[in-house]
Amino acid sequence: MLSLSKLKEAWLCLKAGRVTLPYPARGRPAPARFRGRPVFDAAKCIGCAGCANNCPAREILVCDLCQEIRVLQYLGRRCTYCGRCADVCPEKAITLSLDFETATERIGDLRQRLDLFMSTCQRCGRCFKETSWLDQLKLKGYRFDDVQNERWVLRSRACLESEPAVDDLKIDLDGP
Amino acid sequence: MTARERLGQLRTKFGSAIRRADVPGDHRLFVYVESCALKAVCRYLFLDLDARYVVSIGADDRPYSGGFLLAHDFAFDADHLLCSVLTHLPAENPKADSISGVVPAANWAEREIRDLVGIEPVGHPYPKRLVLPDGWPENAHPLRKDAPWNELPAGFDPEREFQFDDPPEGCIVVPFGPFHPTLDEPAHFRLFIEGERVRGCEYRGFMVHRGIEKLAESVLTYNDIPMMAERICGICGCVHNVAYAQAVESAAGVTIPPRAEYIRTIMLEVERLHSHLLWVGLACHIVGFDTLFMQSWRIREPLMWAAEKISGNRKTYALCLIGGVRWEITPELALELRQVLDRLETEWRAVAAAVSRDKNLQKRTRGVGVAGPALVKSAGLIGPVARAAGVEIDCRRDHPYAAYDRVEFNVITADGCDVWSRVVVRMNEVFESVRILRQCLEKMEPGPLQSPVAAELPVGRLGLSSVEAPRGESHHFVITGENNRPRRWRVRAPTYQNLQAVPAMIKDQQIADMTISLGSIDPCFSCTDRIETIDLKSGETRIWTQEELIRNLRP
Amino acid sequence: MNLPRILLGGLANLGLVMIFAPACEGLLRKVTALIQSRQGPPLRQAYFDLLKLLGKEDLESGQTPWVQRFAACLSPATALTVACLVPMGFPAPLNGVGDAILLIYLLTLSGIGTLLGGLAAGSTYSLVGISREMMTMIALEPLFTVTILAGAVHTGSLRVNQVLDGSVYATAGFPWSGLVLFGVILASFQAFVQRAPFDIAEAETELMDGPLLEYSGPKLALFRYAQMIRLVVYSALFVSLFVPWGSGLAFPIGWLLFWAKVLGVVLLVTVVAATHARYRIDQAIRFFAGLLAAALGALLLASYGH
Repeated sequence: MLSLSKLKEAWLCLKAGRVTLPYPARGRPAPARFRGRPVFDAAKCIGCAGCANNCPAREILVCDLCQEIRVLQYLGRRCTYCGRCADVCPEKAITLSLDFETATERIGDLRQRLDLFMSTCQRCGRCFKETSWLDQLKLKGYRFDDVQNERWVLRSRACLESEPAVDDLKIDLDGP
Repeated sequence: MTARERLGQLRTKFGSAIRRADVPGDHRLFVYVESCALKAVCRYLFLDLDARYVVSIGADDRPYSGGFLLAHDFAFDADHLLCSVLTHLPAENPKADSISGVVPAANWAEREIRDLVGIEPVGHPYPKRLVLPDGWPENAHPLRKDAPWNELPAGFDPEREFQFDDPPEGCIVVPFGPFHPTLDEPAHFRLFIEGERVRGCEYRGFMVHRGIEKLAESVLTYNDIPMMAERICGICGCVHNVAYAQAVESAAGVTIPPRAEYIRTIMLEVERLHSHLLWVGLACHIVGFDTLFMQSWRIREPLMWAAEKISGNRKTYALCLIGGVRWEITPELALELRQVLDRLETEWRAVAAAVSRDKNLQKRTRGVGVAGPALVKSAGLIGPVARAAGVEIDCRRDHPYAAYDRVEFNVITADGCDVWSRVVVRMNEVFESVRILRQCLEKMEPGPLQSPVAAELPVGRLGLSSVEAPRGESHHFVITGENNRPRRWRVRAPTYQNLQAVPAMIKDQQIADMTISLGSIDPCFSCTDRIETIDLKSGETRIWTQEELIRNLRP
Repeated sequence: MNLPRILLGGLANLGLVMIFAPACEGLLRKVTALIQSRQGPPLRQAYFDLLKLLGKEDLESGQTPWVQRFAACLSPATALTVACLVPMGFPAPLNGVGDAILLIYLLTLSGIGTLLGGLAAGSTYSLVGISREMMTMIALEPLFTVTILAGAVHTGSLRVNQVLDGSVYATAGFPWSGLVLFGVILASFQAFVQRAPFDIAEAETELMDGPLLEYSGPKLALFRYAQMIRLVVYSALFVSLFVPWGSGLAFPIGWLLFWAKVLGVVLLVTVVAATHARYRIDQAIRFFAGLLAAALGALLLASYGH
């Protein structure tokens, strides 16, 4: 039964040795460019909402509580770790860490919330110099994403004017 | 022949039926015809001029031109030409003659247009529901502009079941799927078995619809869509990412820097390598040869690490934006990639030599799942399936994109038309990919990664892009639009065409060969099903079947 | 017939086989992993699997639950009874009670246990699986029967201890028939123990485990245990039929040597299983038919004293 070709195949396999790794008994660090969980630095953030506008999954919400206070919340549920938020941030306040072990039972663990004190000129969404026309802010002026219900609400007089208010999906994973 | 010459041929034959033609270069042709002449034009292209059928597209153009748009895409591979034959249909009760009688490959595309856009293909041989779920009401067409993307239509009936065909005389029905250990994604093949032989098959698929095209039209923007496009497929994501970007760039007239073209080529070939190695392992697993499965994947693993080092993820490279790419390949990364390729090539030569001498494996794969050149033409088959039948088509050579016009490579074909030939084709394509990668790494010049997109993209322009995925040609059709998003985006993945030929391939074969025949087209059901659906997450309980439970219990 | 002796011997054989069988399975999985460049499960894994399955809820989902229960008990029970008929380093405890014909019957009955199990479940895939199993059994059992008969012809007796003591080589001159039968059984051994390339009936990727599809929990544990026991018992049969030298030595040398040889057979099964793809049923049947022709030729030779 064991013809020559089979023996050669078996020899090939044995020569390779054992390649499976004893993870998670021994950790395995990710390479330098690995796109892991994004980390938001509140000290650097200027509240321009460029990240929120360019997140394909609509997982970054922005809400203006009053003239001075803007709340930015990264929900992380549908985050695809694409890294667009880090790309467009003008202050490099977002870094995609090397953290990939983010499994948790409570969806709230992934949330990051930034409360930002805004200086006076907010109306022009200043300092967000988009790299191309395709990345431009869709909203100018006040933002009213529904942070309470975790919905991205599009309501503005900017380029998406002809669109009606778009409801986002509500996913409740904190449930019983 | 150039695009203009082909247009000249059409004009000579059809004269006034051609209302308008756009020729944005030598390699693209858009011909607008009268709806009554559509079938005749398609027949002329397919039979007389021997073009290859690609896909049919329906779009709701009522807000812009007052009617519906119906397009049939064809390819002239020898002329390096992609051609689209379009027609406008009235807004009320749109219908057009079905071309499936002449072009059998158009069977699914026309049923899909009927389901999703509501354009009736008159005279279609098999007008059954294809894409929409069973409970969907009759006159709700999701891809119409007045249909919301996030609501169930009124009249959705969760209890309604699909009416399957009756089996032929003397056959029992063996259901294959939606849950089966071989299939990674759900699909339902109803096999009509007589003894041990398959006499027929009915397919009901599209169970993993995710509403990608509708989302692209309603919610996402031009630069968001590549991230979504690469999630169409779990293995060949980069292909869709690049094909979409190219289609928009072609429509809008954006050129990307040369370094970006090389990087796109490199990542596409890295993806082809990992996909082919994965497939050979999977094919061996299907015939019960787990050792070779493990070895193929062991050889593949350093390539995944290299991709992760370059792009940040093993498989979802998130590579393209409109106008360029996002990741730079530094000299260190290039050196590392070269080392990985050297090692991979040596090991793969040994495996390929071992496999070609393996009588055991050949016994299971020779003469199985046969698809000859006639089936390739009529069903529009592409990729390794076509090349294993001796038909030499490859988009990298026929419709060059990215940097493929600057590298040399062979198009691998085989003559057996069976599963074994497909194994051979895929194994040898690995060596060609390594060759292309080495050339790219050598020829790449330093430069910018992105072209600035200074102004708004023009509206209402059409773009076509055909990219050679590991499974075959992946074709994207884009109509640019307002509000920073396309008006219509149609994705035709290669498995869409290849799956249609599976019933013909498995007819009169043994049931044991069903899985390997299906596996030999390298099916990617996620690629195939990606049109419109609604999230039925709320309140739906999932009942585990016995098979699922047992599968999980088995030690 | 010494009853206490039979009982003790029986218990010894049973205990040995029952404890050793999962260990052999564990060894098989570990060596397969080694060939596949993997770490593989620990050697104790088969024990854990059985214990886990035994602790699960006993769901009954087929058409006739009582037949399912019966089949699940029949399979390991017959395999264990065969264990008492095989000399494992010392004379078989049931030597005085049964003969070689009983051995053949019990082995067939063990296979029928699986068939019954598949039939009782009644789902499409299990029915296709048992049809394959039946075809394989019809082609395989004669091979073993012919071997026993050749041994009986040479020794002139059907007593288990004599037939299973290398009797196929017990000719006056050069044992041609013995060598032919050795080759035949070696070539088809994988099918007896249901491993690649002949694990057709429970092909995971084609039939979703065939006859055992509808089984879970304790019943599945019993079927799997029966499979493990069959591996050990068939290896023991093979060793006693074809590689008997040294088993006559005094206890414990002879006993240890016997089990070392059984381990060797298990390793051989592992290596062949790891390096081959599965054959299709029609290809396998053709192969067995060829082997049967050779076996019958050997029987003819045996009857002429070769």
